[in-house]
Amino acid sequence: MKLESYIIKRIFLMVIVMFGVATIVFFITRVIPADPVGAILGGNAPIERVDEMRRQLGLDKPITLQFFEYIKGIAHADFGVSLKSNRPVLIDILNYFPATIELAFVSIIFAVLVGVILGIFSAIHRNKPIDHFSRFFSILGVSMPVFWLGLLLLLVFYYHLDWLPGGGRNNLFIIPSRITGLVLLDSILTREWSAFWDGLRHIILPAFVLGYASAASIARIMRASMLDILRQDFIRTAKSKGLSKNIVIYRHALKNALIPVVTIIGLSLGSLLSGAVLTETIFSWPGLGRYIVNALLVLDYPAVTGGALFIAFVYSLANLLVDISYAALDPRMRV
Amino acid sequence: MLKRKFLWIILIVLLISLTCMSNAATPKDALVIGANTEIFITCDPGVSFEVLPNAIVKNIYASLVRVKIEDGNFVTVPEVAKSWEIDLDGKTWTFHLREGLVFANGDPLKSDAVVYSLQRVLKLEKSPAWLFSDVLGLTEESITAPDDNTVQIVTNGAPSNVVLTIVGDTLGGILNPEVVQEHEADGDMGQGWLTDHSAGAGPYVLEEWDRKIKLVLRANENYWRGAPEIKTIIIQDIPEPTDQLLLLKKGDIDIAWDLTAEQANSLKDSPDISVVTTPGQSDEYVGMNAGWGPFRDVRVRQAVKYAIDYDAIINQVMEGFAINNQQFLPVGYFSYVENNPYYQDIEKAKELMAEAGYADGFDVELVTNTTERRKTEAVVVQENLAKIGINAEINLMQASQMYAKFREQGIQMIIAGWGVDYPDADALANPFANYRVQQLAWRCVWYDDYAADLCEAAAVEINEDRRFQMYQDLTNYWHIYGPFAMMYQPIEFWGVRNEVKDYDIAAEGYSVHFDLTEISK
Repeated sequence: MKLESYIIKRIFLMVIVMFGVATIVFFITRVIPADPVGAILGGNAPIERVDEMRRQLGLDKPITLQFFEYIKGIAHADFGVSLKSNRPVLIDILNYFPATIELAFVSIIFAVLVGVILGIFSAIHRNKPIDHFSRFFSILGVSMPVFWLGLLLLLVFYYHLDWLPGGGRNNLFIIPSRITGLVLLDSILTREWSAFWDGLRHIILPAFVLGYASAASIARIMRASMLDILRQDFIRTAKSKGLSKNIVIYRHALKNALIPVVTIIGLSLGSLLSGAVLTETIFSWPGLGRYIVNALLVLDYPAVTGGALFIAFVYSLANLLVDISYAALDPRMRV
Repeated sequence: MLKRKFLWIILIVLLISLTCMSNAATPKDALVIGANTEIFITCDPGVSFEVLPNAIVKNIYASLVRVKIEDGNFVTVPEVAKSWEIDLDGKTWTFHLREGLVFANGDPLKSDAVVYSLQRVLKLEKSPAWLFSDVLGLTEESITAPDDNTVQIVTNGAPSNVVLTIVGDTLGGILNPEVVQEHEADGDMGQGWLTDHSAGAGPYVLEEWDRKIKLVLRANENYWRGAPEIKTIIIQDIPEPTDQLLLLKKGDIDIAWDLTAEQANSLKDSPDISVVTTPGQSDEYVGMNAGWGPFRDVRVRQAVKYAIDYDAIINQVMEGFAINNQQFLPVGYFSYVENNPYYQDIEKAKELMAEAGYADGFDVELVTNTTERRKTEAVVVQENLAKIGINAEINLMQASQMYAKFREQGIQMIIAGWGVDYPDADALANPFANYRVQQLAWRCVWYDDYAADLCEAAAVEINEDRRFQMYQDLTNYWHIYGPFAMMYQPIEFWGVRNEVKDYDIAAEGYSVHFDLTEISK
């Protein structure tokens, strides 16, 4: 199969997945025994007002009709209007998504750098102190609660040492002009260097907390993959040819060992882009995760379904890109 | 090798420079409030109906009158209206506006703006509109402007305290019609634009609302009482109370809005921070379904009221941030006189249970919602009831699910709260004692015509002495027969840096009264 046909096939499958997600999310939000109108109006609201609002929101219509209208809206990129913010869900999502993208990308850069380097060193210095450290780092990373780690880092680096700021995307009095909504990128584009440094200082702790678990996973996979590759015949051949250790490791082994790591990076990026509510809450980060969780708490149906669909889209897209890069690298994947 | 060393040096220098940069300090004439701003939906005075946003919006829009606190009681004082009078019919109110008033942008404020703003609330029909239409009986036609400096409204005869406190509330905020009409879209009367912009004549102007980041208020230099001392107020979104505490201690925020009771108590010995408190505008109650099984008997309801350990709930669950107030009227309201007839008396409760034929107790489902506070309250009440033989099984529900069931009279016993809609006895007497308005008394199936008649008569009684006595009679009757055990009135509290002066005056009576102009640094 040609690469183009493979991509078309994958995009078609992605549309089916999106439809499936939309259907499941829609019906889950409708069958749970809770009342969004009650959640919006609160306990004081009289019954007539509750009924009136239900009519206004179309929640009194048959569920099949509601579903049909919902799918029709999605086909036109219309996720509906948030019951809480009273704004189109898509506008809300696009408002919060830049903060999420920025944090996700800085986190993944940190995770890849730390994870890959630790994984390599750990494999080539197997059972040496660096390997023990790497494994300890990995176990800590995948097992430490994000909430606890975040608060601990704030307590140390913000409260006691005063090295880094205590949350938010930038200082309230240092704000870069908005172009893309990405603070670091905008401050570079506008050459507002104080805003850039300030943004960088603000992103260090949340990116570390968010990227730590991914770095730990990457380090573990990288180590295992590297150890596996280092045992292969072609590495022995390369060594016997008299190539230097560094060339064998970084030119021959690393390229092959990175393949399974790409999968982990793709999945991690997908999950980071869908927002991380705990990290966002601890560091007052105005991202998508908090938006969706808050929408869930007040049963804001359009925001919940729109948010879930958006996350599914981001995940599918990340997977699609990983698969396409695989297919481009390895023709066997297209079969 | 040299290249690699050079890279390491650059990296280390970069890291050190990042950590050595200091945070920009808050200017002296700026105030930073750390709060969870998730509750903000809009800053439109005709739509906003949540506690924190309402308190802020009050400072953006001037109203005909202003509600403030004097000697612990709510009073209304002139604001845009310098004086007013009521006709003998008790329905026609004439407000005389101050001359020379201007909006924040310098446009003159005349009576047409007041009429436009009050009519707009009715036209929009959003959450607060029922206060005008149902409580005051206003219609668009009943709000008129005989001349540039006079506004007339014709009510349904509601008592003066009700009329003035509602007109002086957030929904009575006066908009600049020209600015609003300029930003109308699809006939929304500027609702979309006013979500995050302002067009008022209050002490502050809404300069910016960057959602989930900050809301910025700038002093209105044209405010008729003079521009406020604090020129910039920033409400910074900090959802996590622990973060608010850390930032407050470091001095990066001046006021922490959402501290837990434990955190607030931890600040009591702090040399830099004070904990400011004021009685909250809500009640926390145990409701009993008077149409269900044993609760049909008034003696069983009284037994429950005697079984509850009010002190334990106030001191342990609320950690002291609550007032023992067993009536529906909060402290500081018209006709409030301290009146707490109940205390834990297990023997007396048991006697009442025996008299009612329930000496061996009974099983009941106790419903509440999933917040930590309510869960703990439910456990305490469950233990208290067990002492008189009542086996209460706790059922935790999402608030929306719980209220949906409650609205259908489908709950045997409930722990919940009630927030005040406007600062008058009527706003509490009706829900708690008048089943005809289909609120709490109705949801608890307490169909008591004597209480309902008294509520309705007091609501329209213009003679203040007679009205006062009516609420006293109602409260005493309700204490005996009513289906509610009122556990406490919460206390609102904030952590405030000592550099901030007079926040206690600004926040007294929050959220009915919240005046940012009182604050200085």
